[in-house]
Amino acid sequence: MRWNDDQQALHDAITELGDLLSENRAERDAAAVFPRANWDRVRATGLLGLPFPDRWGGLDQDLLTTMYVLEGLGHSCRDSGLSFSVSTHMVSVGVPLLRFGSAALKERYLPKVCDGSAIGAHAITEPDNGSDIMGMRTTAVRDGDEYVLTGGKTFVSNAPVADLFVVYARTGKAGSPNAITAFLVERDTPGLSVGTPIGKMGLRTSPFSEVSLDGCRVPATNRIGGEGAGFLVLDHVMKWEILCSFIINVGEMQHRLERCVEYATTREQFGQPIGSYQSVSNRIVDMKIAVETSRKWLYDTADKLQRGENVTTDIAIAKLTASEGNVSSALAAVQIFGGYGYTTEYGIEQGLRDAVGGTIYSGTSDVQRQRIARMLGI
Amino acid sequence: MSTEVEIKSFIVRNFAPDVPPDQLEPDLNLLDSGVVDSLGLLRLIAWVGERFDIAVEEADISPDNFRSVDAIAAFVADARRNSEVAR
Repeated sequence: MRWNDDQQALHDAITELGDLLSENRAERDAAAVFPRANWDRVRATGLLGLPFPDRWGGLDQDLLTTMYVLEGLGHSCRDSGLSFSVSTHMVSVGVPLLRFGSAALKERYLPKVCDGSAIGAHAITEPDNGSDIMGMRTTAVRDGDEYVLTGGKTFVSNAPVADLFVVYARTGKAGSPNAITAFLVERDTPGLSVGTPIGKMGLRTSPFSEVSLDGCRVPATNRIGGEGAGFLVLDHVMKWEILCSFIINVGEMQHRLERCVEYATTREQFGQPIGSYQSVSNRIVDMKIAVETSRKWLYDTADKLQRGENVTTDIAIAKLTASEGNVSSALAAVQIFGGYGYTTEYGIEQGLRDAVGGTIYSGTSDVQRQRIARMLGI
Repeated sequence: MSTEVEIKSFIVRNFAPDVPPDQLEPDLNLLDSGVVDSLGLLRLIAWVGERFDIAVEEADISPDNFRSVDAIAAFVADARRNSEVAR
């Protein structure tokens, strides 16, 4: 990809913040604390409004430019949890609102999404239904000018700090693809309660928790898209989520690769730099292939999406390639750094813990393979 | 081959191989009846977009457009009409 001066300037504005956003990374990771001060620093750059029109305070950039800036965030920021929360915020509320929301919803909420004054989250997964979205049990029943939402969600990223939730609930026959509807719900809506943060393996500064809906009344005007359109709203959001969150991973993989090259050329064992041993250099070559392949798939898919082409298969391949490439790259880095890679001080082990989640959220690797098989007619 | 027949043929071939095309009711709700599931819907949308040259922006806006053979045929006709007007 070739980027013009304006795109480069946006990219540089966030990468210059990288060192500041990375300070005390290990301590925050250990404590699993959301970095509110750094969130405010990201807000000040305007990054959160990147893909949204300027009439709502956004920067009016296209998907590819948004991804380029996010790749810069991934490359410069060692707090992957913060980067993940940024991506989740952008895509969970803003993206469905922009595409499917009413004019009134856009006017009311997009400015808060763009400036980050209201943090966004989407509530999709349920305790008994992870990948099986169509099996969701949370219901939304129309009652006059409102819908009554009842049920429970789990693993809701950003929930403990979120102000706005896009909740997906069943409004039709279980299992039918037109049985799901999306709603925008404010945190202080009676009947919505947020659980305590759930401990997790990686991305620990991006908190997630359960969200309960107990007779939660939501104005019908807060419906995003038509009744029953939720599955396609979600499909659209997932495309953006995969492209935005995994391009951040590409930035992280690139940074990890550079560290490994530097280490392999300076660290000596048995009188030689360890990079002179093929067992090490081959690992680094595989890391290079993983990052380049992931980058190509993600940008090519985004380019096709922007041109209005169907990317159902491409998005699944891109997600698989990037998420599994990130795990293998992170594991290789631990091996290359040896004992140091195993310590928390170097941050290499954190990269591995953070990477594993990518093979699970936004549709597991197994589900992505199932999608590709179905698109092949298998 | 008419649009309806072509749509029926695709659905039978891919989602209901045991049903003769002429026995697939044009107003059968494909989504609620379980003939087309969520991944099937994505495949159907991809096929309609490609076969009838309809941009995804239009095609993925509502599953209602894909609930039956009749609905898909009407959606295709509308999209073609809109495309003519745009020219």
